[in-house]
Amino acid sequence: MQYEVEIAGRLLHVTVTRAGDGFAVSVDGRTRQVDAARIDAHTLSLLVDTVWSKEVSMATDPVNGQLAVHVGATPVIATLNGRRRWGRKDEGAGAVSGPQRLVAPMPGKVVRVLVKSGDQVAARQPVVVVEAMKMENELRASREGTVAEIHVREGMSVDAGALLLVIQ
Amino acid sequence: MCRLKKILIANRGEIAVRIIRACRELGVSPIAVYSECDRTALHVRLADQAYAIGPSAPRESYLRIDALIDAAKKSGADGVHPGYGFLAENEDFAAAVRDAGLTFIGPAPEAIETMGSKTAARTAARRAGVPVVPGTEDPLAPDVPDADIAKAAAAIGYPLLVKAVAGGGGKGMRTVADAADLSAAVRAARSEAGAAFGDAAVYLERRLTRPRHIEVQLLGDAHGTVLPFVERECSIQRRHQKVVEETPSLAVSPALRAAMTSAAASVAKAVGYTNAGTIEFLLDEDGRFYFLEMNTRLQVEHPVTEMVTGLDLVRWQIRIARGERLDLDPDQLLRPNGHAIECRIYAEDPDNNFLPSPGRIQQLRVPAGPGIRDDSGATAGLDVPIFYDPMISKLVAWAEDRPLAIARMQRALGEYLVTGIKTTVPFFTWLLAQPDFQAGRFHTTYLDEVLKLRNGRPFVEPTPAIEELAAIAAALEAVLSPSALAADASDVRPDSPGARLWRAQARAEGLRGL
Repeated sequence: MQYEVEIAGRLLHVTVTRAGDGFAVSVDGRTRQVDAARIDAHTLSLLVDTVWSKEVSMATDPVNGQLAVHVGATPVIATLNGRRRWGRKDEGAGAVSGPQRLVAPMPGKVVRVLVKSGDQVAARQPVVVVEAMKMENELRASREGTVAEIHVREGMSVDAGALLLVIQ
Repeated sequence: MCRLKKILIANRGEIAVRIIRACRELGVSPIAVYSECDRTALHVRLADQAYAIGPSAPRESYLRIDALIDAAKKSGADGVHPGYGFLAENEDFAAAVRDAGLTFIGPAPEAIETMGSKTAARTAARRAGVPVVPGTEDPLAPDVPDADIAKAAAAIGYPLLVKAVAGGGGKGMRTVADAADLSAAVRAARSEAGAAFGDAAVYLERRLTRPRHIEVQLLGDAHGTVLPFVERECSIQRRHQKVVEETPSLAVSPALRAAMTSAAASVAKAVGYTNAGTIEFLLDEDGRFYFLEMNTRLQVEHPVTEMVTGLDLVRWQIRIARGERLDLDPDQLLRPNGHAIECRIYAEDPDNNFLPSPGRIQQLRVPAGPGIRDDSGATAGLDVPIFYDPMISKLVAWAEDRPLAIARMQRALGEYLVTGIKTTVPFFTWLLAQPDFQAGRFHTTYLDEVLKLRNGRPFVEPTPAIEELAAIAAALEAVLSPSALAADASDVRPDSPGARLWRAQARAEGLRGL
């Protein structure tokens, strides 16, 4: 079985074959013996090359389909087989070209729109303030550009995932 | 006297659970209240009875004095504990509880009112001989000419703060570095304060450079005894919100402790304060301290004080409300045993500018073992609602000294597993490793300054080995549970049924609440 796993913008090629009671898993050509035991619906216990013991928990983000893999307590965001393509342009780090579509990460109320159409914005410049969970949250541009579209005004309630503005 | 057999807890989440625990240990029957979205919350499951008090938005449930009093009467409770947040510092609520013939587990409404106004509280402190940060004695009148404000400001000196009289949490507050910006800042603070607190009154106060936040916990009984506790330091703040608290403070010598704790006690005595409260001070770089404000309630950070004194503050709140005497050794309260640190674990995404991360907790395994305490209101399978403060637990570490307490907290953070939502655990992992934190070199704006310099870099960057393991695990999950992942895989577009359902739910809840 072959998989592509994307982690932090890097594509890893993973091949899994059954080997005895466990698996031979190769990541970018480097093969390891893995004994995998399921602990519960979300958790695998892995013994890698017989001694490297790790517990791994997995949760799928219902909004963007990313897999949050916790290795021990360290979270790693992974994408399997190129799923979740639609959301990538909303992402800061991964997005390098095309318009940047800023969406509301949670439902809330727009309390301030800090830019106007046509404004130049710098990377990480706050552009919209959304109030949710008793806090005012600054949403920032992920990279520099020009504000092309504004889809919200102050006082408006927005859903999670609602398009707030587009930066070219 | 055997009053207080049944207590209604007018709160939710982790603090409601904390109070239920104190009730159980005293043989008191705890009564919960819940809003629509809290029907299955842990505090509801742990209580003896639970009363629905309305829709999820706070003003339709946890802020409704009539609904809470009604629930208390129906349940046969003889006392009400407000917790913190919501109505804990609302004198009308305390008075309504008293008028209903019930015992309010907290100070008298008059004390809440006096200390709730920042200018009245400053006056009370000054009268008790405790220094306050230099500033205007009274709120600025709405019609006072700009020239008079400028004169008052010049007398205080720049930089200064424009602060809301009814303020809290950094709202209605502006820093002014230059006289030219003063009138605009006063106007902005007034409008923000009016919107946030329904009271547009503001006053001016000197802005200390790089002060530390030091506070003194107090207990006062109905017989005139007020006892101060060893100080807590809460200088690690993000946007004026405390995120780490500890006791004792590295910045407080025994002589300073004696001065600050007796100053705190004299302010409380001057206003006839009873039950638990906290006096907050700013400690200037030159070693002088100033009264900041009083919190007329239990504090979020109360566990660190409990860990180093061995006392249960919530149990004492109930005993004081019963009329019992504070028969404690005052010296014991000022002599900390070891060191304790608390991290506030929030459902926030620290790598995305600390945006709230509501949603369903898939898995939760909290740290345990020597010296660790996790005061939580969360369980796996529960949703973190979008309506309330996103704190899910208070993680506390105790050890013989500060370096050991830090090591223990780091160990505990490594055990803390939460999936399904993002939490501030990676942020604390980073913070506790900072040399400045470990050396105690910080002040109230330290965290905002270093966060700005980091410019959004991830707090915990997985090593290549961890990434390799994650890739192995993701692929094995696909092999071992192909059906589960296939269902996920077909369900990742914004218009997919799963995503749509989730957003429809969020929309239905969100529009009502905000």
